Amino acid sequence: MQNNITLDKLKKGEKAIIHSFKSNELPAKFYELGFTPGTAIEIKHIAPLQGPMCINIIHQDSLIAIRKKEANLILINKI
Amino acid sequence: MKRKTIALLGNPNVGKTSLFNRLTKLNQKVGNYPGITVDKRIGSLKANETEYKIIDLPGTYTLFPNSLDEEVVFNILSNRSNEDFPDLTVVVTEPSSINRGVVIYQQVRELGLPAIFVINMIDEVDQKGLHVDYTALENYLQTKVVQTNARSGKGIDQLIQHFDIELKPYFGAFDLPQKYQNALKDARQLFPLATEYLTWQYLAQDSVSSLPPEKTAALQKIRQSHQLDTQELQKDESISRHDKVANDLAPIISKKENKRLSITDKIDNLLIHPVLGYVIFFGLLFLIFQAIYSWAGPLMDGIDTLFASLSDAVAAALPEGPLSALLVNGVIAGIGGIVIFLPQIVILFLFIAIMEETGYMSRVVFLMDRWLRPFGLNGKSVIPLMSGAACAIPAVMSARNIENPKERLLTILVTPFMTCSARLPIYIVIIGLVIPDETFLGFNLQGITLFGMYILGVLGALLSALVLNEIIKSIRKSFLIFELPTYKVPDWKNVLNTVWEKSLGFLIGAGKIILAISIILWVLGNFGPTDRFSDPETYIAEANPEFSQEEIDHEVTAYKTEYSYLGYLGRGIEPLIRPLGYDWKVGIGLLASFAAREVFVGTMAVVYSLGEDVDIEDEGQRQTLFERMKGEINRNTGMPTYNFATGISLLLFYAFAMQCMATIGVVKRETGSWKWTLIQTGFMTGLAYLVALVAYQLLK
Repeated sequence: MQNNITLDKLKKGEKAIIHSFKSNELPAKFYELGFTPGTAIEIKHIAPLQGPMCINIIHQDSLIAIRKKEANLILINKI
Repeated sequence: MKRKTIALLGNPNVGKTSLFNRLTKLNQKVGNYPGITVDKRIGSLKANETEYKIIDLPGTYTLFPNSLDEEVVFNILSNRSNEDFPDLTVVVTEPSSINRGVVIYQQVRELGLPAIFVINMIDEVDQKGLHVDYTALENYLQTKVVQTNARSGKGIDQLIQHFDIELKPYFGAFDLPQKYQNALKDARQLFPLATEYLTWQYLAQDSVSSLPPEKTAALQKIRQSHQLDTQELQKDESISRHDKVANDLAPIISKKENKRLSITDKIDNLLIHPVLGYVIFFGLLFLIFQAIYSWAGPLMDGIDTLFASLSDAVAAALPEGPLSALLVNGVIAGIGGIVIFLPQIVILFLFIAIMEETGYMSRVVFLMDRWLRPFGLNGKSVIPLMSGAACAIPAVMSARNIENPKERLLTILVTPFMTCSARLPIYIVIIGLVIPDETFLGFNLQGITLFGMYILGVLGALLSALVLNEIIKSIRKSFLIFELPTYKVPDWKNVLNTVWEKSLGFLIGAGKIILAISIILWVLGNFGPTDRFSDPETYIAEANPEFSQEEIDHEVTAYKTEYSYLGYLGRGIEPLIRPLGYDWKVGIGLLASFAAREVFVGTMAVVYSLGEDVDIEDEGQRQTLFERMKGEINRNTGMPTYNFATGISLLLFYAFAMQCMATIGVVKRETGSWKWTLIQTGFMTGLAYLVALVAYQLLK
């Protein structure tokens, strides 16, 4: 298990558990759409050349797209 | 009969609009919320001896607003004196996102509003391997849970029966975090009548537009003295509520396996593939535009014939005179000039609506975000930009769901650069005049030029965004987060309804202005201040003693145009446009085009005395207009008016200039600011003038 890397470092197909957030800058909408501590996620797709990431929030079975910049604020533990 | 207001609330993509259409049987109208421009969808339903007013609120995940759309939701639900404040809120959700539905349901109940809970798309419960204990869920939510399938109509009657439900007082499921209790206590002094949760909402939002300024200032003070950050308050609520709901629902909803994403996953592997995804998207765009031109052509011909025969009929029925001329050449020609664009617009909006309904549009946003970001735009800007290829009016309106105010403003400001259908007839005429009909490397030069004009529109939009991005200050940080819904077969009722609304918006929004302007133009062109206008024969005969009566008759229309009010206006602006290579006749066309570009061709036809109805699709008529225009000599230069240099200069001018009153009106409405509207008009027209000037001076 690899601890406290940021979400944007993950590759397609990798799974992780959200651990915490680097700062309070993340808009509340992120938490509402399911990026909360303890949530298991899987990277489904990544748009080329630093494009957005498409993330599966596993327990609610939804696909959410976010930019790498915001993904960089989310700390995760790889599983 | 009793009257009641019912509000539909829920996350995006839960089938709320289908449910709304079912409940109201399309008995609905779209208006605006006072002061802002979010579409307000209201329908009516008579049942239970009551007349229900049903409001379809914009989709949202929470009551904390992130965009204009979402602000509407909070303003209605938080303000008892709002005219749309509901007697009952129907919270709509779908099987795989029940948790998120419960979150917003609780927020509504804690505000003190009665609500019932609907699980829509109920057929998917089994497909997705879910088991729901409905009795336990009803006990937990302290309300009725209704299962519906809006597409088939299942459960709708049952839902309507519960519209008059009497609910017991609600016991909050969520405790506000302890560490904020002191700040909350201070805030409660400001709102002695509000529920605790509403006070909390006020405290956790930067600014609430429905509150008076002194309360906003007082809240700000409380936040300062307790060192609170609204983002943090919202975050703490979201996370603790989310965790609590997940825990509470665990014994109520059980999941056997995740089957939902398997098909969507397979499609996504193709449609948002890093390479193939783009190939497919651009291929699709190409197909759409191909379809627009091949399908719209015959329809446009039909509309043209229809209006031509209508003109003839009116002309025959009324005695000849100013009234008949005004009706035929002003009103009918004006309306015809608007309706002719409907086929193209309907077809493009049909494709866009299908893309949105199936869930593909979010994939396009996903693919394009990276490429639009450097220009200060957002992946979501794709939809306005694409719609701009049909008509800027609905396109500008579709920028509403962009959360960041700066990105939304930028998108609105640059969308009118896209080559809309009104520019097309002008391009066709001018390209036909100045670009040789020859092939180069197997491509038709005229075709390449037309394609180039489209590219120019896109470049104009993107590069202006780049420039404006440096100028406009951002209030909030840019971010992007959106859900990619599972792929679905489109609900055709929704598709048709959307297309109908948008096309009607164009027809009425643009129609009013174009109609008014064509009447004004007609009046200006048909009256003149001097007897040079009223008695042209004498003057023509004086100036050209050698003319036969036939030749004099031939000159009359053109002479009258020159000495009409319109002619004086054209000559008035001539000094301004001379450096661009135009004479006063083109000037008249330009002036007329500031009402709406499509007026140009008709105006040119008048100026070159061919009569109003020149059908640019008709080979013979087009040739006549072309011959006449080609033969024109610019009095200032002694050269043909339409040579290569002026042609290019005109094309560039039309590509960039803001020449559409209706768009200006919509931009004013959407931005709520004359400042930005005028900056946009000035920027576009200034750019057009500059580019046309440089092009003409280099090429002449």
